[in-house]
Amino acid sequence: MTTIQLLIKDIKNLRPVPAIANQIIEMVDNPSVSMQDIAKIIQYDPAVTASLLRTCNSAFFGLTNPVESVKDAVAILGIDQVVELSLLNASGKTLNKAWKGYGLHEGALWKHAVSSALIAKDIANKIAPESRNTIFTAALLKDIGKTVLDKFIQISSDKIQTLIDNNGYSFIEAEKKVIGTDHAELGAMIAKIWKFSPKMVNIIRHHHILDQNVGKDRDTAIVYLSDCICMMMGVGVGVDGLAYRFNDKVIRELAISPDDISKIIADFTINMQKVESLLRVV
Amino acid sequence: MKIIVGVSDMKVSNDSQSDIITYSLGSCIGLVVFDPFVKTGGILHYMLPESFIDREKAERNPYMFADTGIPLLFKEAYKYNATKKRMKVAVFGGSQILDQKGFFNIGKRNYMALKKLLFKNNVLINYEDVGGNVNRTIRLEIKTGDIFVKTSGSSEVKI
Repeated sequence: MTTIQLLIKDIKNLRPVPAIANQIIEMVDNPSVSMQDIAKIIQYDPAVTASLLRTCNSAFFGLTNPVESVKDAVAILGIDQVVELSLLNASGKTLNKAWKGYGLHEGALWKHAVSSALIAKDIANKIAPESRNTIFTAALLKDIGKTVLDKFIQISSDKIQTLIDNNGYSFIEAEKKVIGTDHAELGAMIAKIWKFSPKMVNIIRHHHILDQNVGKDRDTAIVYLSDCICMMMGVGVGVDGLAYRFNDKVIRELAISPDDISKIIADFTINMQKVESLLRVV
Repeated sequence: MKIIVGVSDMKVSNDSQSDIITYSLGSCIGLVVFDPFVKTGGILHYMLPESFIDREKAERNPYMFADTGIPLLFKEAYKYNATKKRMKVAVFGGSQILDQKGFFNIGKRNYMALKKLLFKNNVLINYEDVGGNVNRTIRLEIKTGDIFVKTSGSSEVKI
């Protein structure tokens, strides 16, 4: 079996993001579906409802009266946030583990995913409000390919590091060269098998913007920027460190200035403690 | 005991049983000071160069910025009778994403802000490990003043 065939076999064995999350993701992408329709789906899933209520009642929100139903949660937090929390609850179990190949201790990839999703949403609220749910979800799940590629990284880490240190490769370029595929490409394969929308598959596939033309897609560029910000902040960063390419042209086209980036970082840092409490609950 | 310095945080101690640790510096800077005479040391972990971008946040958390955090690290150490003359100073972090240039290069700007401030105040840097595209974890042993650096995927190294 070739490496690629082995990887595809692994994808099929991967514990999928629960069906409910899949359903929500699909609905989020469909403009004819209302947020209320999504709330209805959530309340029929007891596991997601239970963890949603636990999260709503955590220190992250600091509510004075406890939330007791999905309806309450929607009324108090708004439907957007309820959808986000349901997605967080559903994807946490897959992402929360330790990934040794990438040098990520337990919870690190999860922290990176959640932080990146919150930052992406913050940027989307400013410049792409109509796509904020898709952008949030794509940022949350963009590194799903790492969960399958991890054991191959573990056995190829020396070769990958040599290409970065001596040949000017970025980490993802080195993955492709050594293993024959990379975590973004694999992530897109997984997303496709899980029947995510073509738009979501596309953002996951291109979230490191290896091709200049891809950077013209605003939603992909926002997810890319949120990833770069997390790397700079050292949030959930592993052996790949900051060894990815920074594309300032893409950022400039979003009309985001260096000061804007600093402000996003400052905002996120102020909320970091709250984020930590959110991570523990999920 | 482990004393953890979070992101945008600072800790100073003279407890000989303690280690001060800060995790995962990306483009942020970890500034370490240690006075061997009074055996007092501290670490500041700041994220951004200048506080003018958000004065209100700088007031809420001065350790977020170089210009507001660095003076506080020194002032806190002075409370333990540390002196500027005796203090050893080490700097870590300031990493950058590949091809990150100019004003978007927050790692470099963080480092330049520090250099400027220390130069103005006649403080010499005794050791630095900055730049590149790795993230670093720093540990200061108060008993000895020894500093240890760990980058992801490698084991901890004493400097």
